[in-house]
This record gives sequence, structure tokens and C-alpha cells, in this order.
Amino acid sequence: MPNKAVRDVVERYDDYIEQGDAPEGVWVGPWNNLIKSLDSLNGLYNWGRKSSIWPLGFGLACCAIEMICTGFARFDIARFGAELFRASPRQADVMIVSGTVTKKMVPQIVRLYNQMPEPRYVIAMGACATGGGPFKEGYNVVSGIDKYLPVDVYVPGCPPTPSALLQGLMTLQAKIEGQKLSEVPWYRAGVSEGFPVPVLGPDIFDPRQIPVIDARLSEQEEPTTKAGKPPKAKPAELPAPEVELTKLAAEFLRGTVGADAFRDEGNALIVEPLRLVDVCHSLRNGFGFDYLSNVTSVDYPDRFEVVYHIYSIAKGGAHIYLKVHVDRDDPVIPSLISVYRSADFQEREVYDMMGIRFAGHPNLKRILLWEGFEGFPLRKDWKEAYYEQEQKPFDSRWPEGYHVAAEDRNIWGKNVRYPQGWDPKTWKAPTDGTLVLQPEELSALSDIDTDKIILNIGPQHPSTHGVFHMRVLLDGETVVDLEPVMGYLHRNHEQIGERNAWLMNMPFTDRLDYLTGMGNNFGYAITVEKLMGSKVPERAEYIRVIMAELTRIASHLWAAGFLISDLGAFFTPANYIGEEREMILDLFEMTAGSRMMVNYFRFGGVAYDISDTFIAAATHLVKERLPRAMEELDRYVTANEIVQARTKGIGVLPRDEAINYGAAGPVLRASGVQYDVRKAEPYSIYDRFDFEVPVLYGGDIFDRYWVRMLEAEQSRRIVEQALRDLPGGPILEGAPRWSTRVPAGEAYGRVENPKGELGFYVVSDGGSNPYRYHVRSPSFVNLTTLAEMSKGHKVADVIGILGSLDIVLGEVDR
Amino acid sequence: MTTTDIIEVLVKIVAVFFILLTGFAYLTLFERRVLAALQSRIGPNRVGPGGFLQPVADGLKLLFKEDIIPAKADKFLYLLAPVAVVVPVLLSAAIVPWGPTIQLFGRSIPLHLADINIGVLFFLGLGSLGVYGIVLAGWSSNNKYALIGGLRASSQMISYELAMGLAALGVVMLSGSLSMVDIVNAQANGRWFIFMQPLGFMIFAITMVAETKRAPFDLPEAEQELVAGFHTEYSGMKFAMFYLAEYIAMIVISAVAATLYLGGWRGPFVEQLPILGPLYLFLKIMVFLFIFVWLRASFPRLRYDRLMTVGWKILLPLALINLVVTAIAVVGADTKFFGLLGG
Ligand code: SF4
Repeated sequence: MPNKAVRDVVERYDDYIEQGDAPEGVWVGPWNNLIKSLDSLNGLYNWGRKSSIWPLGFGLACCAIEMICTGFARFDIARFGAELFRASPRQADVMIVSGTVTKKMVPQIVRLYNQMPEPRYVIAMGACATGGGPFKEGYNVVSGIDKYLPVDVYVPGCPPTPSALLQGLMTLQAKIEGQKLSEVPWYRAGVSEGFPVPVLGPDIFDPRQIPVIDARLSEQEEPTTKAGKPPKAKPAELPAPEVELTKLAAEFLRGTVGADAFRDEGNALIVEPLRLVDVCHSLRNGFGFDYLSNVTSVDYPDRFEVVYHIYSIAKGGAHIYLKVHVDRDDPVIPSLISVYRSADFQEREVYDMMGIRFAGHPNLKRILLWEGFEGFPLRKDWKEAYYEQEQKPFDSRWPEGYHVAAEDRNIWGKNVRYPQGWDPKTWKAPTDGTLVLQPEELSALSDIDTDKIILNIGPQHPSTHGVFHMRVLLDGETVVDLEPVMGYLHRNHEQIGERNAWLMNMPFTDRLDYLTGMGNNFGYAITVEKLMGSKVPERAEYIRVIMAELTRIASHLWAAGFLISDLGAFFTPANYIGEEREMILDLFEMTAGSRMMVNYFRFGGVAYDISDTFIAAATHLVKERLPRAMEELDRYVTANEIVQARTKGIGVLPRDEAINYGAAGPVLRASGVQYDVRKAEPYSIYDRFDFEVPVLYGGDIFDRYWVRMLEAEQSRRIVEQALRDLPGGPILEGAPRWSTRVPAGEAYGRVENPKGELGFYVVSDGGSNPYRYHVRSPSFVNLTTLAEMSKGHKVADVIGILGSLDIVLGEVDR
Repeated sequence: MTTTDIIEVLVKIVAVFFILLTGFAYLTLFERRVLAALQSRIGPNRVGPGGFLQPVADGLKLLFKEDIIPAKADKFLYLLAPVAVVVPVLLSAAIVPWGPTIQLFGRSIPLHLADINIGVLFFLGLGSLGVYGIVLAGWSSNNKYALIGGLRASSQMISYELAMGLAALGVVMLSGSLSMVDIVNAQANGRWFIFMQPLGFMIFAITMVAETKRAPFDLPEAEQELVAGFHTEYSGMKFAMFYLAEYIAMIVISAVAATLYLGGWRGPFVEQLPILGPLYLFLKIMVFLFIFVWLRASFPRLRYDRLMTVGWKILLPLALINLVVTAIAVVGADTKFFGLLGG
């Protein structure tokens, strides 16, 4: 149920349609009678509109992928005349809200809607757009777009399949057919005034709510805070190769920076904050640990802990694990940017989520949320607006299974807090980095140089691969500077992950990089298994590898197809690749029951066994079909003159920078670094297969494209071998369980996902849900390189460079 | 000029108008179906039999769309721009000879609107005028994407028009006339100029894609970079006008190319059965249009600066060489010249 102000507008809208009379105060004019007499034209009028529904080309999250598939060969929305996805809202008829609506994105969506000409329609696609979906309980997700805009058709599903979206389109057509020219609201006075754009304050607010907020401000209650539950057992990692390595590192460090800089804790080194930079310097230069993979933080009752996982590219193998204790009252530690550039975004994320400041960071500001947001959401004493309980399942929903949506009872949420002296009427959202350029900024800019303009590319833009936003400073068409802005799809993944029970997180990982559900499952499963000490049965291991490698093929092909589209080819390669990807999705659907959100892995195995049909189909696919498709792609695309001209030598990422920036996966390997987690630190049964790690040395767009093609070929080989050797036996260790207790401890597990190294960092206090749950996302870290690579190139190149990074926003923003 | 003459001209104007507008509508459908086929899809097939009424539905819908003028736009120019784009394109259709002279109601009616003695020049001139509308659209919308699109359009047009004009000059030299009708007549008996001007034809074919801003030269509206380029802020019918201009320009330029290089409406038996003339021209136009769509489905876009390089550093010199060679050949074919040599 929308809140009252919106409800009024929506109802007024509906009234028009039902009664045909405008309420008092809305002037209709003498045209009204004329229009009424035109009702004989209804048939024609409606036929025209329903046969030509052009969607606005914008996607928010995972659902957008299915929306794109709807346009592809198998489903072909073009049959309905609706394939003309318009990039400009001015030319679109329907807004398909395809995905999670976050608070940070809502203002943009409302703005886009306001820019669309009447008659306009809204389809809410998927659980998120309809009612908040799986991420609804978090602090940055809006529970349904109908809180802000009138929705015509709801399409259920998570994600709805393309056929479901087509059904939604037909429903909209049916609705249009029932309308009358004399009664439709949009030609009347007073209707086309825009919907008010929500404002990002300490929390989001609707300008219409200002009186209520005012009232609330005076009687603001303290939020229901309880100090975080202390972890029951002191986290200590299970014996691992890390212990050995840590000993060596400690030995080395004693010789270089001295024994007083750190403490050896068995599997981790606890570093003195002030010596952190020295320690890392010495580890990088003297010990060869040059790849800072993961930076995150944990909130313990007595301290914050910032943790670092550092790898060695040359040596491979396990990580060195550093911890820094930070004072809760004055959380400041030195930034590591001068040693590892990969710390850039990750430190900002820690600041954003936990409020730990990094001295010396050149650009320390919020990265996923917006400037002005009140509080640091991953602190244990911070509560989201509709906070119910520390742990799921919430008592209000279980075991009865009935609940009332919290926002219906209380549209504010008890925990929304406004800072002292905050006034909604005069509030202007800080412009810093997150919002469209303000006039003052622009005029300041023109003082410097009149020739330069700032262009905001995104968050709604045809080639930002979702809701990504780049602020680009242009001199003519040349990029002088670029700043990536993200967080428009920040779905409070980690916070929800800490409320969820351990196994409940499995389907959530599907929605990280929604093109590689299986791979994400894999990473989470092996991380938790590290803590649980599970033994995965042979057959399950093989199935896992088959699924993960099929995912890699699908993801790499998709990346190649869309890269070519980004370069301006009109979706032809993407369409052909889409067909191959559908074949792989069929296999997933056959086994896991879903095309994208597979939720297939379990701790100690997989959920369902694969059938003989699967084996036959998969064998045919990898032996016959895929080789042909890849060869075709190669023949028609790779050698194309324009493709070569647009990709060779553009966006070069030199080897050392690639490592220092923490680039991972194909991006790293295209820059001449032969590093693949499957070989460097083999997990599962990857050491049994015969495959190579392709590496290229150009570091440009072309090499990133080409390395993906080569990798897809290797994955194909792995699947072939795995299908051949697949043993029988059980697929799960022990009996299926719904809830798991995980022994206390902490673990960092990583897999080579198609986008790069996907890491999970979990801390367990022995309870039924994770104490800390962090995702090291390759797309997010890879983006650190974007600005460096883009400078000096043309706008068109930047689009290509971004395409070659192959980001997925679900994983960037989490 | 008698009244019947005037009626005749009016009828012809209306007919050309009608043909072009229908052509525009069905060219959109043609494009969508061909694109779909090239992408192993089906394309619009539900609206009317086989999707045949799709353009009608699109038109109807656009007609009823709300007409938005952005608050910060320069109103006058914003309204003027679509008109300024469409008018030159429609005008340029006047010089295309659609067929030979036919006999109807005892009158002999030439199937062209105007046989201007500077036809080729007129066509090139109008092409340059068309770009004003685009620049205006980009400028007046008060949108950065539109502005960049407009700027791209202007520089692109300038650099490609030059090469196009020089390429066309080769034909003019061969036929000795700027009149389109004369050019067609000079290609009687299968002596199409494409055989004598293969390089010129290639240059013309490339520049005509750039001139109509079609892929891979569609930089002014490059969707992946500039959202919708110069028409980002246009909605409803005004937006449709830009498409109208683009598609009609495609038809007209195809007709011109066919006239200059493929003998226009000429073909076997056209002397005996003049009505075959328009049919031949239609087929030749379709070949070009298919190539337009095919290109769009197949090629990524050129980058802006490379586009300029291709225009100025490759096409222009080639066109000049073509011109010089043609000139020497034309003079050389003159027996007097040989006579002098042999002297
Ligand atoms: S979680 Fe993803 S797939 Fe599910 S409804 Fe939301 S956007 Fe769609």
C-alpha cells in the first residue's frame, strides 16, 4: 500500500479513468465534449497505442538481464512491435522497472518518469520492483516502485522469465484496449505536472512528507539500539596453509620492520596501526606479496578490526592475513593507497559502511551510499528503518508464516533518525560526486577553462551495463578526467547476509553477479565449508565444476557480445551469443529449476543430481554446438576491421598497474599476468583437469576480449573432461539440512569467477547466522582501473573500456 | 503554362509525396524485419497480417503522444529544427527522375518533378542545408548529449559532403551535364556509369551512408555513447520528423545513387514499356536500402576522430584522383586531342 500522498495522486489518476469526470479544480474545457464525441475512434486509438509500446531502455538489476533476453532471438519482443528500446525517456511509452529499486536510485527513476510523455505506462517487473523483493529488509531498498509511481502491470517472479514479461506486455495491451479516449486522464489539465522527486537526506524522503517529518523531528525517539552481541568464541581460523605462511612472513618482518610493529596470532598478523604502511611496503617489496586482494572490517564489541588479505602473484598459494585493531571511539588508521592502489575503493567502502577513516586517502567519501546519509550501516549498533531482529527467521513470520509489512504500520520506521537541527525544507543534498552537476559547480568550472564540460554518463544510460554512473570531464570529445560513481544498486547485501541464517545466504549470492549464479554459489560454499570442515562427495565436486565452467562460458560469451554492442554494432553478435547462452540456461533450468537464480550449491555438495538427459545435452553442447558458435564469432567479429581499430591499443593497462590496482580475472590476464586462482591456489578438484591459463600481453580492449574467448575455450575443455569422468555416488555429505551451525572462526575463501577473483570473508561466532559476511567483488575492484585507463581517450573509447571490464552492477554495489 | 500543366505538376507532387511517406513508413518495417532476420529473430508480425500495419500503429501512437518542450530549451529553434531537417530532404526528391516520359490521357508526361539544369548541385546543396536542422536541434535542446550529437553531425557532414560532391563530379564530366535527366539519358544501352566510375561509385556509396548518418557512421545519434544524440529531447511527432527525414533521405539518396551510377530507371525493354522504368528504379533503390540495413546489423561504429580521418585523408584524396583521371580520360577520348598528339 503506497503512502498517503502518493495514494492520493494514484487514486486521482484512477478516478479519471473510472468516472470520466475530472474532480473539481481540474479544468477540462470545451474540448471535453468534442473528445467525448470522438469515442467512436477508441478502437483505432487504442489499437495504435497497444501495438506500438516502446520501452524505455533502462535496467536496474538482475531482472534487466531477463528483460534483455526478452528482446533476443528466443523470445523476440519485436513480434509485438515493442523491440524499440528507446534510450531517451522522451521517446518511450513504457517504463519497465526491471529490478531492485534502491533509495539512491529512486530520485532518478521518478525523474525519468517525469520526462516521459503521456500516455505512459509502468510495468513493475520482478519481486523487487513490485514489493521490495528479497532485499527489502535492508536500509537502501525501497519496497516497491508503487510507493512513488503509478504502476499499470505487475509481473511476479525473481526474476520473471522472459515469457512472463511478454505476458506482462500482453496484460498491458489488454488494459490499453479497455480505455476510452474521452476518459483517459492524460489530455487534461493538471495531470502532467510531474511526480515529486524524492530527496536523499539522512534517509530518503518525499517532499510531500515534510510536514510529517517536521512533526516527527520534535518527538524523535532514540532508536532501539542494543549493543552488538559479542561473539561467543574468539574467532580463530582452522589450521590452514596460512599458518605456515604467516610464520614465514613474521620471520621476515622481524628482520625488516622490527618485532614491535606486529603480533603473530597464529594465522594472522596483528599490525600496529602506525606501522601498517611500513609493514605492507616491506611485504610488497621484499617478500613479493604484491597483490592486495581484500580489505574489509569487522565490528567487535570492544574494537573495530580492519582486515587485509594479501597474495603473491609470482608465488601463488595462500594469503597473508593482516589485522589492525581500531579504536571504536576514534576510528582512524593510515590508508594503504600509497602501497596498493587496490585499496582505493575498498577503503572507501569500509568508511562508508563502518565509519573508519583512512588518513591519507585522497578521496575519502561515501561510495555506495550518498553523502549525507546518517550512520554507518554495518556497525552492530546501527539499525535499519524497519529493524525487527538480529537474526532470521523473524518471529513475526515464523512459524505462523504471517506478517504485516512493517512500513504499513509505520511509514517511517522507528530507526530513521534525523540529526540535530536538520531541516527538511532547507535541505539540499550534498552534490559531492553522487548527484547531477549543480549550476554552481558548472560556473566554477567555467572559470578554469571554458572549453571543458562535465558529462554525466549514467546511471540511466544504454551502455553503462546497469545503473553505473561516470562523471566525465570532457575537452571536446577527449576525456580529461573520470570519476566512477556507484551504489545505485547497493542492496545491503552484507547487512542482510548477517541477519540471514548461513544457508539462507546461498540464494542471495546468486544475485551478486547475476550472470554467474553458479560461480557465486561455489565461492560461498567453499568458504563456509572451510569453517565446517566438510568433505564434498566426488560426484558433487564434478557437478560443481561442470556448472561453474558452463557459467564461465555463458558469462564470457555474453561479455563479448555486449562489448561489440557497446562499440556500436546493433546487437547482432549479442543475439547470436544470446542463443548459445540460452542453451546453457536450459541446462541450469533442467537441474536447478531456474535460469539465473540457481540456488544450487549446498554446504557439502549440491542440491539436486543431474540427469542423463542433462549429460547428453551438455555433451552435445560442449562437443558440437559451442565450438561451432565460437568459431563463428571469431570469424565474423574478431577479424572485423572496425572492431580491431576500435579495440587495439585502446585503454591499455600495463602489467604492474594491473597488479597494483588489484585487477582480477581476464582483466589481469590480458595485461600479461598469468594468475588464475584455479591454478594458483587450486580449490575443489581443479588440479585434476587438463587446461591452460591463457595470457595476453597487450592489456588493451582487444586483449581483454580475446582472453575471454580463449578462456571460454578452456572451460569448454574442462566441461568435456568432467562429463567424461563423472563418477557415481551421493551428491551431498550427510542428509539435507535447512539450518546449519557453523563452528566459530573466520575464513576467507575465493574462487576464480568469470569476472575475476570472487572472495567471501565470513566470521562465525558459532551461531546460526554469520557474525560478519563480506564479499570481495571482482567487478568492484576492477573498476578502480577505469579512470586511469580512460584518461586521454575519446568518449566512445570509454564506453568500450567499460565494456571490456565486464562489470555487473549487482556485484559492484552489492 | 496551361491549367492542365499546373494540374499535372500538382498531381505529380502529391504522388511523390505520397510515395515518399509510404516509403518512409514501410522502410521502417522493412528495416525491422530485415534486422530481425539477420539476427535470427522474427520481427514485428502481430500487428495486422504479417506485421503489415506496424508502421500505421506507430504513426498513430506518435501522433497522440504528449508534446514536450523542455523548460530550458530555446523554444523557437527547438520547434524549427525538425522542420528544417525535413524540408530540404523533401525538396531534394524533386530532381529525381522516377521514369521515362509516359503517355497518359493523350499527354506525354515526364516522370520527374523538375529537370533543373543544375540538378546534382541542387541535391548536394540541399544535403548541406539539412545539417542545419540537426545542429539546431542539438543546440536548442539544452542537453549535453544533444549538443555533442549536433556538433558531430556538422563536422561529419562537412567532411563527407566534399568527397561526395567530388565523386559525383566524375559522372557529371562523363555525361557533360548537371541535369539528372541528362545523366540518365547518357547511360542508355547499359552504359552505366558504375562501369566507368567504379572508384567514384565506391566513394559515393560510402559517403552516402555517412551523409544519411546511418551505421557505421551514425555518430550524431550514437546510442551507446550519446543516448539518442541530437534528438534526445524530442518526443512524439517532432521526434518522428527526424526519423522521417532520415528515412526519406535514405530513399532519395539511393535514388540519386541509382541515377548517377546504375542508369536510373533504365533497364531492358523500358523503351517499349515505359512503365517498367519506375519499377527498375524501385528495385535498384531496394538494393541500396537493403545494404543500408545490412550495414547497420553488421558493423560497429567508427570512432569520431577516425571518421574524420577516413573522410579527409582517404576519401577526399581518392575522390580527387578519381576526378583527375576522369578528366584526362574525358579529354583523351576527344579525338581532337589524339589528333593533336598524332599531329
Ligand atoms: S532480486 Fe533480482 S531477480 Fe529478484 S526480483 Fe529483484 S531484481 Fe529481479
